Amino acid sequence: MAGIGGTSTRASPAADPSSSHFALVAARRSRGREGILLGEIAMSPMTAAAGILLAFTTSGAIRGAADKGVKASPAEQKIAWAQQAIEKNPSRHQSYNELAMALARRARETSDVSFYAQADAALEKSFQLAPDNLEGEKVRTWVLLGKHEFAKARELARALNKRTPDDVLIYGFLADANIELGSYDEAEEAAQWMLDIRPGNVPGLTRAAYLRELFGDIDGSIELMNSAYQQTQPAETEDRAWILTQIAHLHILTGKLADAEKLLQQALTLFPGYHYALGNLAQVRIAQRQYSKAVELLRQRYEGAPHVENLYALAEALERSGNLGEAKAAYREFERRACKEIAWADNANRELIFYYADHARQPERALRIARLEAGRRRDVHTLDAYAWALYASGRFAEARRQIESALAVGVRDSKLFYRAGAIALKSRDRLAAARYFKQSLDLNPRSESAGVARKALLRLEQQASTRSRSGSHGS
Amino acid sequence: MKNRRSTPAPIVGLAVLISQAALAANHREAPITALDHKADITDVYAFVSYGPRQAPNEPPSKVTMILSVDPFLEPANGPTLFPFDPDILYEIKVDNDHDAIADVTFRFRFSSEYQLPTVYTAVAGIGDQGAFQPGTDILVVPPQIRDFNNPGLNLRQTYTVTMVKNGVETPIVNNDGSPFFTVPANAGPRTMDYAALFRAGTYSNLCTTGISVFAGTTDDAFWIDLGAAFDTANFRTLGSGVPGVLTDEEDEPIYVRARNFASDTVSGYGVNSIAIEVPIELLTRTGAIEPPGSPDATIGVWGSTSRPRVTVRRSPNPSESRGPWRQVQRMGNPLINELLVGIGSKDRFSMDQPANDSQFADFFLDPPIVHIVEALYAGALSVPSAPRLDLLPLVTYAPPIASPDTPPGPIADLLRLNTGVPATPFEQASRLGLIGGDHAGYPNGRRVFDDVTDITLRVGVGGVLIPDFNHFPNNRLGDGVNVNDAEYRTSFPFLADCPNGRNRRHIDPGEPGGGPIQ
Repeated sequence: MAGIGGTSTRASPAADPSSSHFALVAARRSRGREGILLGEIAMSPMTAAAGILLAFTTSGAIRGAADKGVKASPAEQKIAWAQQAIEKNPSRHQSYNELAMALARRARETSDVSFYAQADAALEKSFQLAPDNLEGEKVRTWVLLGKHEFAKARELARALNKRTPDDVLIYGFLADANIELGSYDEAEEAAQWMLDIRPGNVPGLTRAAYLRELFGDIDGSIELMNSAYQQTQPAETEDRAWILTQIAHLHILTGKLADAEKLLQQALTLFPGYHYALGNLAQVRIAQRQYSKAVELLRQRYEGAPHVENLYALAEALERSGNLGEAKAAYREFERRACKEIAWADNANRELIFYYADHARQPERALRIARLEAGRRRDVHTLDAYAWALYASGRFAEARRQIESALAVGVRDSKLFYRAGAIALKSRDRLAAARYFKQSLDLNPRSESAGVARKALLRLEQQASTRSRSGSHGS
Repeated sequence: MKNRRSTPAPIVGLAVLISQAALAANHREAPITALDHKADITDVYAFVSYGPRQAPNEPPSKVTMILSVDPFLEPANGPTLFPFDPDILYEIKVDNDHDAIADVTFRFRFSSEYQLPTVYTAVAGIGDQGAFQPGTDILVVPPQIRDFNNPGLNLRQTYTVTMVKNGVETPIVNNDGSPFFTVPANAGPRTMDYAALFRAGTYSNLCTTGISVFAGTTDDAFWIDLGAAFDTANFRTLGSGVPGVLTDEEDEPIYVRARNFASDTVSGYGVNSIAIEVPIELLTRTGAIEPPGSPDATIGVWGSTSRPRVTVRRSPNPSESRGPWRQVQRMGNPLINELLVGIGSKDRFSMDQPANDSQFADFFLDPPIVHIVEALYAGALSVPSAPRLDLLPLVTYAPPIASPDTPPGPIADLLRLNTGVPATPFEQASRLGLIGGDHAGYPNGRRVFDDVTDITLRVGVGGVLIPDFNHFPNNRLGDGVNVNDAEYRTSFPFLADCPNGRNRRHIDPGEPGGGPIQ
């Protein structure tokens, strides 16, 4: 069976410093170093000339698409505009910043990390023309976040914040980097400054919403996401699709599947084939036990965004649907690719931990990777995976410390609660275990872990009842 | 230190640059306040109170603090006039132990009501009896407004005052328990007896506290040739022949003898003012009136405006997402944010606390504006070099305001006031304050008639607190506007009447008292 250590791919908010409005997220889990999506383009990512050339090529492709009547995405349009500006005036550094930002946005739209390399190349040109220019540094921070180089991004964001403390988006970068690193106090402070300096700004609202979610205030998170949606221009289709997907995700957390599905369908109408929406819709189908439909959605997502962690979700769905042969092959492929990336900043280590803990029955390998990852970041999701690896390898006391550190942030997630229950049970704390299982079920009676949580809770209740009876007999 | 060359051109440039950057009063000095007119603090004043028969060296007993907000109120601009914003928390704060953290805070909150909701204007009134529908006894227009119960005062505001000291909130209430009313803008002589309302709206010696309060639309106590400042600081050429530099005659320091040689652009405009007069014992750390040589005599005062904010963490009540307050603006000295703080830091400065001002220390002690002057005029001007330690008295507790043994505390924009220094009798007071030899004036606190424009030019740029720089023309920099257009009161709340909307006059260049057009 599919492990209950299922992961959720979650995009945190980031901002678009090149835009008059604010974009919402950096590309997360954006992959494709192997060039799968743009495999036809051989690229030396750090070579400015090659990058610029590539950007021109991309622009040409976009123009071609436009000629053929294919509607360009918002990011594609911005890439084309930036290219035109560069053609007119190649010595204007801001045009390269705009190109870099548009490429970074395209990375989010497509989930293709090669756009970040192109963005780096454009930035290199910008800095040649105007060393240390602020807008360029802001895009650089964005790109670092997109590449999951969170510590570097935070360092740069702190320096930029000191230089220009009124810049709202730099607070956004600070919030993003600190959320990913698990420094929630600093993240909250930065997000609060965003809300204070420019009340109602969309990037501030989305970041505050994400923090509310992490602090366990799901309704409050939805409230802010709704505000963000209302303030996002209709033309920003991907931004709006992203917000709708996030609200849907929040509904999924509490088992409101019909509400979630409605929003996800809207997102997919706004931005057809949107990879985030496909992944969330697949979660809805899994909760509805429509595994074959989930497989189709995840297959579609993987075709568009062939990230290794997307393959993991597909493998789990295949397993649930009973297609064990294909699931096995998918797991094998996942393991092969994920192992290559263990040491990279942008990796699939979280999925790999759960894979080794739940599927491959290699808990020591899970633990080794978890320790590596926990040394880099202390966010809720990393601590959760670390705790699970400790649990799988029989280190229950330490597992309990780690899972409770994660829960102390305030996060409410049925899977985390279930895992906390399982860990507490092995720690011989039946009361805590029952409390966690109950929290898991109360929050979302239709979660992936609801079945096992229900069984475990029932067993505990039966044991308690038996003990109570034997106690009565004995008295 | 540069050699001084008294050539006209650099002096003009000096005045030009400074006036552009700094002398736009305190209006709209940061992006966030430019967007939030009602929360925009124009000026903060704090001084030892004086009276119409003040004697020299009379021992101090009370301090008056004034917070003015909402700039350039045109009293003719009906029909809603200029209420305080009930959503804003207005505060005047006092640090009395040199850590730049408020020890005593006075909070002001306002409420509005319409007495005649179907009437088209905020105020209406005529004569002793009002006006009736012809041939009937149906009152159509109420009598002239002379008190706050007149229904002609259609838009009526009340306010509450709370003193917070050591975490304890004490409501400051009216002697008879009735609410405090705000004084409306002066719509005109037919509609209201503004002076009567002003008297009625001045609440003195409340209960046992000895505190007095006032809130309302008054004359803007500040004055400046703003039009010249915003025309790329095109200051008028007066007797010296050098724009921005005054002759001795033009530079009369005694306020009551001074007159204007340029137009006061703020003339004829009102501003919303909150004033409070407090016994010194309630403000000092020791609870006593301290002599001027005591470290505990000097306090730091600042004002702030705040609005409710959305917080990342909601309050315990899940349906309530509005938590505490986000500060929109704060102000201590009249020049800091405008003149010194970089444009990319102004909002953070406005919204942060004075205790965190060390992050802006580079701006305070090495003002970029001075480097600009130096660069433009190639060293031809005599300007002090960084670090500008002579400016420390503005941002720390230091002589000549505080006694030498006063702990300096952190760098912070507070209006420092030595409460032990006796008030100068009004007739003898210098508009140039401390640098005019009047120890009771700015930058030792700030009185309504202190000419902070000229003082700022001379202290902030000319560096006249450094003896080597206290010479011509550094000590004659000025805009030529030396007095207010309206007559200040010589007792609490010390402010002048709001100009009346029907007959208000904005004094223009070229007319009497407006200075030359050239």
